[in-house]
Amino acid sequence: MAEVVLTNLTKSFGSVDVIKGITLTIKDGEFCVFVGPSGCGKSTLLRIIAGLETSTSGTLHIGGTEVSNLEPSDRGIAMVFQSYALYPHLSVRDNIGFGLSLARMPKPEIARIVEATAATLQLTPYLDRKPKALSGGQRQRVAIGRSIVRNPKVFLFDEPLSNLDAALRGQMRMEITDLHATLGTTMIYVTHDQVEAMTMADKIVVLNAGRIEQTGTPMELYNHPATPFVAGFIGSPQMNLLIGDNARKLGCTTYGIRPEHLIPSTTDGLWQARIRHIEHLGADAILHCDAGPLGTMTVRTGGDTDLSHGAQVWLTPMPAKEHRFG
Amino acid sequence: MTAFQKRTGIIATLFAVVIFIIPFLFIFLMSVKDKSQASHQDFTWPEQWQLWQNFSDVISARNYMLLLAYFNSTVITVGAVALLILFGAMVGYVLQRRQSGWNKVIFGCVLAGLIIPPAVVPTIWVLQGLHLFKTIHGMILIQVAYGLAFSVLLYSSFIATIPRDLDEAARIDGARPLQIFFRVILPLLKPVTVTLIVVQSIAIFNDFTNPLYYLPGKQNVTVQLTLFNFQSQFQTQFNLLFMNILLVTIPPLIVFIFFNRQIVAGMTAGAVKG
Repeated sequence: MAEVVLTNLTKSFGSVDVIKGITLTIKDGEFCVFVGPSGCGKSTLLRIIAGLETSTSGTLHIGGTEVSNLEPSDRGIAMVFQSYALYPHLSVRDNIGFGLSLARMPKPEIARIVEATAATLQLTPYLDRKPKALSGGQRQRVAIGRSIVRNPKVFLFDEPLSNLDAALRGQMRMEITDLHATLGTTMIYVTHDQVEAMTMADKIVVLNAGRIEQTGTPMELYNHPATPFVAGFIGSPQMNLLIGDNARKLGCTTYGIRPEHLIPSTTDGLWQARIRHIEHLGADAILHCDAGPLGTMTVRTGGDTDLSHGAQVWLTPMPAKEHRFG
Repeated sequence: MTAFQKRTGIIATLFAVVIFIIPFLFIFLMSVKDKSQASHQDFTWPEQWQLWQNFSDVISARNYMLLLAYFNSTVITVGAVALLILFGAMVGYVLQRRQSGWNKVIFGCVLAGLIIPPAVVPTIWVLQGLHLFKTIHGMILIQVAYGLAFSVLLYSSFIATIPRDLDEAARIDGARPLQIFFRVILPLLKPVTVTLIVVQSIAIFNDFTNPLYYLPGKQNVTVQLTLFNFQSQFQTQFNLLFMNILLVTIPPLIVFIFFNRQIVAGMTAGAVKG
């Protein structure tokens, strides 16, 4: 187990700065999620931590040791890839034990560790199968097994669930969270899916254009976003953001209110709007309203709402839930 | 199947028989005839079957030269194909994975190796300078030089379809570059390797001109050169010549029959998304 410390880390590809001076401490045993839109540098940052990319400047410490110039295998890390990266010509058993055989561990010892790991991940019946004979979820578990056997100080996950269907993704989210609870190891997890970030993380690092926008627990980011970008990125559906004259009238440069913090009423309220579209999600319903000069406002309300398409509504923000930026 | 499809199928089959089977049948019939009937060089049934007699004459000719030729050709083929696979895969791997400004120049050189015909006399000078002329290992290196461009191109295009994540996963697992190549990449190149083994081993085993130029000497004879045993300016023993052709044709034919599926699979591997 180890603390990961990034200090002034930068990465440039030619004249393009991808990572622009990141300083971050990930505590021992923490589940830290890097989240951000495509191209924000989160995967590059993870690859720098893994040692698959070299940083242009800055330092990286894992467990108090400077590892910037060490080979990936000497950093005490293990990585799970988006594509699983299983060796197609090897059986599940050999895939999991590959790193151990490279370390010239005795064969009986490798067999014992592989079987124990497979039992933990419910892979025992599949040990002699090739990866192509496994489902997506099983492949991902093999990839996780391959990283567990190396007994790493830090686990790195690069969008590991993005190739899975929605149901399996939910199940694997739980399994990875359980794994973290069992092992207690530092885990760094990259995703562009803010639901994964919110449900799994101890700490979320929101990245945008190579910089950290905000760091905090999921609820800190949800309740107190530091910037309009974080406000818009965290939370689903997205926060309603007003800019320009609309925001200035409310005393700021950007005004934000989450869909669940807008109260719709058919009789009175602050902003008049017309319902353009309703999404019924069962327990909830999402109203997409045309609010005239304010633009489109999204409202989350109960699934049993009797509001209908084209209806006139009044929207009122909950006073304590408003966000004012600048 | 429509009548038209049936008709074209039969025509195509007959055409294939004329092109491929009849010449082979002609070789076989010639090889079992006696000397006088074979000298007519016609497509007739043998009056007297001399299969075993011709076979033993060909094998024992010039102090069992054909057996020595089989040995030499096998050594050259196995040695050259092994080196072609090893170097072709290694060069293809590095070219595909390590992008640099030199790549275009190197690919240009590889293409030149495929396009520019080899010059015999300068090659012999080089071989003499290196004391490799008239040696089996010199001949192996010649075959490697002539076949390397093809195998590099074949391997590098196939390696492009292998995700880089596999290399990186192996690096994280603690594999050194050679271990990544031999334990992860090379096993995945099996389809191309089989293709290369078949194509190159047939080409090298059947090669007539290169051993003729670069490997003179009675002890250095290869299978194709044994055909000269029965052919001269004034007299040719056609029954023995064709028996010799039959014997040197059989090993590549067996290889081709067993592996032709893989040749097509390897040639088209990576052409479309799998």
